Amino acid sequence: MQIWVGVVLFAFALVWLAVLWWVAAQASREVPYEGVSQVVSRVRRLGVPIVALVLAVAFLVSLPFLPFPSARSARLGSPATSVEVTGRMWAWELSQTRIPLGQTVEFVVTAVDVNHGFGIYDPSGRLVTQVQAMPGYTNRLLFRFDEPGTYTIRCLEFCATGHHLMVTEFVVE
Amino acid sequence: MEQAQAKGMTTTVQRSVEQATLVYLLVGFAVFLLMGILGLLMRLQHSGLLQLDPRWFYRIMTLHGAGMVAGILLASLGGVARVIAPRIGLSPRLLWSAFVVYFLGSGLVILSTLVGGFAAGWTTTYPLPVRGDWPASASWGFLLGYTLVAVAFLLWCLAVLVGASRAFGGLGNALAWPILFRRPDAAQRPTPTGSELAATVVAVDGVIAVVAGVVYLVPIFAELLGVIEGFDVLFAKNMLFLFGHTLVNLNIYLAVALVYATLGAYTGRQFRMSFPIALAFNLVILLVLLPYFHHLYQDFVQPWPLHLIGQFGSYAVGVPAFFVTIVGSLGLLYGARVRWSAPVIFILAGLWGWTIGGVAAVLDGTIAINNLMHNTLWVPAHFHSYYLFGAAGFTWAFLFHTLGGPDGWVRTIWARRLSLLYALGAGGFVTAFFLSGLQSVPRRYPVHIPEWQGLAQLAVPFVLLLGIAFLGLAMYVLGSVASAWRATQPVAAGDD
Repeated sequence: MQIWVGVVLFAFALVWLAVLWWVAAQASREVPYEGVSQVVSRVRRLGVPIVALVLAVAFLVSLPFLPFPSARSARLGSPATSVEVTGRMWAWELSQTRIPLGQTVEFVVTAVDVNHGFGIYDPSGRLVTQVQAMPGYTNRLLFRFDEPGTYTIRCLEFCATGHHLMVTEFVVE
Repeated sequence: MEQAQAKGMTTTVQRSVEQATLVYLLVGFAVFLLMGILGLLMRLQHSGLLQLDPRWFYRIMTLHGAGMVAGILLASLGGVARVIAPRIGLSPRLLWSAFVVYFLGSGLVILSTLVGGFAAGWTTTYPLPVRGDWPASASWGFLLGYTLVAVAFLLWCLAVLVGASRAFGGLGNALAWPILFRRPDAAQRPTPTGSELAATVVAVDGVIAVVAGVVYLVPIFAELLGVIEGFDVLFAKNMLFLFGHTLVNLNIYLAVALVYATLGAYTGRQFRMSFPIALAFNLVILLVLLPYFHHLYQDFVQPWPLHLIGQFGSYAVGVPAFFVTIVGSLGLLYGARVRWSAPVIFILAGLWGWTIGGVAAVLDGTIAINNLMHNTLWVPAHFHSYYLFGAAGFTWAFLFHTLGGPDGWVRTIWARRLSLLYALGAGGFVTAFFLSGLQSVPRRYPVHIPEWQGLAQLAVPFVLLLGIAFLGLAMYVLGSVASAWRATQPVAAGDD
């Protein structure tokens, strides 16, 4: 997913750079503003509905991929394993550190002191999912691990001096 | 005789306003430069070239964030006040009072981080300010500092609202409603300029943001005093980001007002108030309040409709800005025999970076994507694009224009080269951040593992380019301050 996000952004950045470069190249010429103003109005008239349509489609297409428990449960099935997770300054406590491969797992995540971020990194170092660990609340995170190996949990919500030390691991097998 | 006296008084008041706002701009610029040095230290640390103690890293990180927001906001407030004062009539006394309050608040923030050890990040997410590993006095200092800054901002907003209502015969006219609702007598009613409309919109939302900030801060103070034992973290987060996210977003609309005020001098064309501009800014009043929910996507206990509102708001808020300000600015530039200068280059670069930051925000504002990008370096990549190119870049364009334009030093070959160097440095700097975000590098880590350090090392030369560019431009600024200050000296009545 991250790769596609990068492709979209950098492709847009290059196209946008080309557009601005072209405008800059034309900026030294003299063109009557009335004509330019009409083009600007046309860009607005056509552009707004097109962009609105693109955004509306993106909005709808993204909905089935919501990370919330109900959406994940619909996609992955009911969890077969439940792992209790507690964040505290500055350590993670997991009720188990061995997770079954290919089954839906439910992480029941909370915190005892301040907000923490429960971020799961796969063996290649890529963030695969996350949820907040909040004092006074319990968040349920569903996920299915299809790759075996050692996964790393990193705190992704700043929690003072030991934030970066809040790292632990679990094994998917 | 009376007319001459009144004119002289108006000129004197206007020059006092110019004096005050010049101080806003210059102090904001100085703070920006100092905070930039802290940013360089952080990227050196990320690249493994510096070994700061994590405690110091977090203090620096907190000060860098708070200081950048405060410095750029201060300069934007000053710049916009300077532009709108002739018609909206801001009082110099109010501007100086707000400046003193702002300055005291900023001083407290600096003291509480560098001396007190406060290091909760600029967002100070509850309950961190009351449970962090620093003295309670540091939390008091920092939060009181924030309170003073918010009070100063509130004063500015209220002054603009009162002044605009008086000047245009009601808030509706100040918000260009006669044009928006196509009233038959619209041509007879006083019409705001783009800058005045933007300032009024910022003032309306600014009051809402400050109220949210008060709702956030009061229980924290109560807890620090021992009056209450704690309060709901989810509610706190909502109030925090309604305040903080909205505040930093409003900064870009202030900066937009400065684009409107600057571009005309170099293109010979002006933004004319029209239905699209009136519609866009009135939509912004509501839309700018919605995207903050994207900060809470990973708080799954938040009611899901609020998540969807956040995604809608994140998508929608950029549309009016893009089609009105960005497309409109390109229209002003196209075929205008542009007088190339530092302000024009800063604005053009800002139009690029602001848009890129906006697209990155739309991507990250998509809940499914946010689950993989939230609190990675993608987030600072987005807001540095938006802030460094947009909010700051537009504001410095106005500062340079004020001090050196349109025929002064801003048009020299070196001023233009330094501006291009800035664009190159800023572009490389944010690109490295984006790539690190794609690599899932967490934000707010003082120690980067070797796999993460390469991209930070790539960023460092670009930060140095930024430093060189701003050092050179700061020399030009310093060289022109004295004459700009003299130009603001009050004159005797009738002597203009």
